[in-house]
Amino acid sequence: MITREEIIKHTNEALEKEFEFRAEQLVPSARLRDDLGLDSLDALDMVVVLEQQFGVTLRQGYDLRTIITLEDLYNFIEKIAREHNK
Amino acid sequence: MGWLRCYFNTFCLGGAALCWLFFSTLVAAPFLLLCADKTGTRVRKFVFFQSRGIMRFMRWASSGWQVQTAPVPAGSRVIVANHASALDLYTVSLFGFDNVVYVTKEWVFRLPFFGYIMRAAGYIDAGHTTPQEMLSRCQEAVKNGCDIVFFPQGSRKDPQARFKSGAFYLAEQLHLPVVPLAIAGTQQMLPVGQWHIKPARIVLKLFPAVYPQDFTGPLGHLHMAQSVKKQIMSFVNKENNA
Repeated sequence: MITREEIIKHTNEALEKEFEFRAEQLVPSARLRDDLGLDSLDALDMVVVLEQQFGVTLRQGYDLRTIITLEDLYNFIEKIAREHNK
Repeated sequence: MGWLRCYFNTFCLGGAALCWLFFSTLVAAPFLLLCADKTGTRVRKFVFFQSRGIMRFMRWASSGWQVQTAPVPAGSRVIVANHASALDLYTVSLFGFDNVVYVTKEWVFRLPFFGYIMRAAGYIDAGHTTPQEMLSRCQEAVKNGCDIVFFPQGSRKDPQARFKSGAFYLAEQLHLPVVPLAIAGTQQMLPVGQWHIKPARIVLKLFPAVYPQDFTGPLGHLHMAQSVKKQIMSFVNKENNA
């Protein structure tokens, strides 16, 4: 079972690599749209990047609009990973 | 002597450039209104003519001037450039692209005088369109034989900012080649938040087209954005440090 620390580490690594964020920008309270400047197309790209990173499907059956901050994103992936392991 | 040149650039050349923009629009507006075409092609050609004039003033204000061009594919293209100064908008005209639709931020459309011209030319407001609407507006522009110009950094505030993938997604969806344009020196000439026009060495380079089919997979457009950014910014950084 993947730990929360691993989720944070892998998520941040993927965002740094694909979206050119600096490590110091990726704090849990950072808002994806307002602080990190991700637009609607970036959000779709981010989903694909995270699916590849974690090997899970994030697009179906989940309301991604509730994800506002990075913290929300970590929680969301943790929840999916838990469901995936059941 | 540097300050003298700066004052000359700002008050003489800058003033003349603004007068050129204002009076040429004043003279052309009645004709454009009378002979308006639905697609806005005449207005876009007029903007091209105006931009060439601005480029002339910019050349006089510069301390060095270099334009490097490359062959471009026929038909419509997506032109992408780095963006660090208000002057960047006019540089596209130097390469002969005379029928272009700019995709810009919504605040630009609120500018008095210029906003009207932009709407008449059929430019696209990126702030008020969904990706789907954007796609259909661009599709329409391509049908009218236009090139589509993007500044994928979205803002002039950070010259090293990442290239957002929207322009590249669009090129992928519409099967259009992407023509990268590197603009070096305009940031030194007219930086964000300043109005003094400093003499600076301007170097513009058009790169050979990049094709979406060379970037496969669900993140192809994202990887194309990264690759084009690398190509443009390595040239710009080298020229800015020269």
